Amino acid sequence: MDALASLAQGFEVALTPTNLLFVFIGVTLGQIIGALPGIGPSAGMALLLPVTFGLEPVTALVMLSGIMYGGMYGGTLTSVLVNVPGEAASVMTAVDGHQLAKQGRAGAALSVSAIGSFLAGIAAVTALVFLTPALSAFALSFSAPEYFLLALLGITATASLGTGSPVKAMIAAMLGLMVALVGTDPIQGTSRLTFGSLELLEGIDFLPVAIGIFGIAEILVSMEQSQHVEPIRTRLREMWLTAKDWKDCRMAILRGGSIGFVIGLMPGAGPTVASLLSYVVEKKASKHPEKFGRGALDGVAAAEAANNSAAHGALVPMLALGIPGSASTAVLLAALVLLGIRPGPQLLTDQSDLVWGLIASMFVGNFMLLIMNLPLAPLFASILRIPYDYLVPGILLISLVGAYATSLSMFNVGLTLLFGMVGYLMIRADIPRAPLVLAVVLAQLMETSLRQSLMLSEGSLSIFVQRPLSALLALLIVASLALPAFTVVMSRRAARRARLASGITD
Amino acid sequence: MTATRAETYSCLRRTALFALGATLALAAVPGALRAQTAPTGPIEITTGTSPGGTPDVLMRRAAKILNEQKIITNPLLVQNRTGGSWMVAANFVLSKKGDKNVVLCIAQPILTTPITQGLPTVYDQLTPISMFIQGDLVLVVQPSSPVKNLKELVALAAQRERGVKVAGAQSGSTDHMVAGLLEKAGNIKLNYVPFDGGGAAQAAFLGGNVELMTLTPSEALPLVESDKARIIAILSDTRRTEPALKDIPTAREQGYDVVWGQSWGLAGPPDLDAGTVAFWDDAIAKLVATPEWQASIKDNFLRSEVVPAAEAKAHLAKLHQEHLAVLRDLGLAKATPVQ
Repeated sequence: MDALASLAQGFEVALTPTNLLFVFIGVTLGQIIGALPGIGPSAGMALLLPVTFGLEPVTALVMLSGIMYGGMYGGTLTSVLVNVPGEAASVMTAVDGHQLAKQGRAGAALSVSAIGSFLAGIAAVTALVFLTPALSAFALSFSAPEYFLLALLGITATASLGTGSPVKAMIAAMLGLMVALVGTDPIQGTSRLTFGSLELLEGIDFLPVAIGIFGIAEILVSMEQSQHVEPIRTRLREMWLTAKDWKDCRMAILRGGSIGFVIGLMPGAGPTVASLLSYVVEKKASKHPEKFGRGALDGVAAAEAANNSAAHGALVPMLALGIPGSASTAVLLAALVLLGIRPGPQLLTDQSDLVWGLIASMFVGNFMLLIMNLPLAPLFASILRIPYDYLVPGILLISLVGAYATSLSMFNVGLTLLFGMVGYLMIRADIPRAPLVLAVVLAQLMETSLRQSLMLSEGSLSIFVQRPLSALLALLIVASLALPAFTVVMSRRAARRARLASGITD
Repeated sequence: MTATRAETYSCLRRTALFALGATLALAAVPGALRAQTAPTGPIEITTGTSPGGTPDVLMRRAAKILNEQKIITNPLLVQNRTGGSWMVAANFVLSKKGDKNVVLCIAQPILTTPITQGLPTVYDQLTPISMFIQGDLVLVVQPSSPVKNLKELVALAAQRERGVKVAGAQSGSTDHMVAGLLEKAGNIKLNYVPFDGGGAAQAAFLGGNVELMTLTPSEALPLVESDKARIIAILSDTRRTEPALKDIPTAREQGYDVVWGQSWGLAGPPDLDAGTVAFWDDAIAKLVATPEWQASIKDNFLRSEVVPAAEAKAHLAKLHQEHLAVLRDLGLAKATPVQ
């Protein structure tokens, strides 16, 4: 009941007119920043840091965190409509969301994302209210061995992405891992495959790859066939969710939200890993896995629920321990320091007004985002009524400006165009693109944590099975690899038996 | 204790006074050459960290006070040009020869990245302005650890080579150099595990995966108060005087000559005119005298001893040599290519 009393006190803080206004400003900005590729929520928050000078700490914080989760809602927009992920966590949304848009169901994809994000967000904040101290201990039980296994699970999971053969998906994932090798060796600090180029010293950023491979490649392909492409016809009636859609997505939101929250807790994994894993889990749990990659509404719902609840979950280690759980919470921590508040384990008790005001503001902010997004979904979806030819220059401009904004350098613009061509070739060769992009995201976590684990264990592989959590994850990986192989063998056997049986009767 | 405190304060005042004096002296030189000239238009402070990194936070706070107190009326804009371990930021400023509207935040990677990557040195191409923020470091162990002081730590590490695990930031970072210095001073071999930044390393430490870690006092004290870490040594020259830190013995007191810290400052692009340097020199001297700045320095257990423009070049050269020596010992220094 302590928590409830504190929360009530938090609402008192969050519902003052000033704070309400700044929550509104924050979530609106987040929505816009999330939708623009290139500027992710963390960069957007950093840009607005100076604006918060002179504000009350709690006012500043509710606004900045509004940008953080508002970005998770906004990232959906460009992913679904033009297949350019607005930020890293929206890659999985782009995969199915854009397919849905092509089928005229952009409105449904956007609405289910908004509802999924909202429900998962509210659930995650509720968990924050009651469980923050307890969960922070759990978050710390994750370390290098668990991160390695989690990333490995992600990589093996990419094999089941896409509609074609798993082999092609793995080829794409391997390409992604190779792209991620470029840069500075994370342990030794020596440069790898940089060919003396300074721009490559910190490796190839995820965003130029994602924007190029998804957005630019899409444009290239569509230009080829522009004469044949009809504008996507959408009727207002089709923009809303049907009762059946909702029934299909209920469990997806629940599963996605829970997985997202747990992964968001861990400092080290972020919303991107969360949305990938929950998408894959959803594919396994779904009654129609064949639809995934071809426009599965429940896939979109799971991924979106996951990334929003992960964004909230990352606040647990930040509030309870002063450890940033993600790039965005690192900026929040910086804001605290700039406002003269020292983060750390005492934050919850020393600054309870601030912490509970922040938590209460997230309830309010998620409501605002839902109200903002639901009516706007059909409106934004109608953009697709414009013939694609006319949209192309705009998409290209947004993509390239986004690539430039990631590091304020033209080098990334060139990289984006290069990966656009790579993506084009992949579409032509019918190789799924999502595994490559995800591998780029996961590779660094995978490599670094593998080498850290082996340093911690002084070379012994037993570290991956001795710790209870890693043993569990290792088991999951083995199962995820063995089960499909097992079913293939079994079905072949069945087929052969059937053939033999029919041969005999012939 | 009071003597040390007075000493530090007088030292502080001396440097501040010197800075002022130097500026006045420079301004007094006949001819317009030495006079202060304020640049027109907004000024960019370039940093190489992403938003939220210590240098970024420090520069944003300095910029805020400089503008709020009208010490500098030009809008100051902190810009994060990340990439290449600060070399993207450094190269950006190096390419702005004589530009009055850009300065570079000087942090450790400006010195160390050229050494570890075998690139031409950067610090000596810039126009030094001032080094004005210093931070100390402490060594922490797990609260449950049997180790109570540095001597016991060294004894533990001596039992088995690479037996004591240390978490820290990337290879070649401050944390790594501290581990290297400790290895040399104690004649031991530690197991240094680099993480993706200080936050991740701290998570690994709090999760009980490693025995030892280097932290700043402002990071360490909240952990100590909640019994999540124990400080065994501070790596400053002499003991700190604040009540919260005065009981922490220095490494030197404990018989190990490990003195290391961090420092930050500003430098201009190559060929920056003397007038603009004088303008900055004066602004920094005024900045550190403001109560707002002093309060924020005190809150974060930092020090603000100004090395003015006149001395900054020699100071940076000295720092470069120190870093080069430590990185050589760690086997991380690459030979500088012939320029």
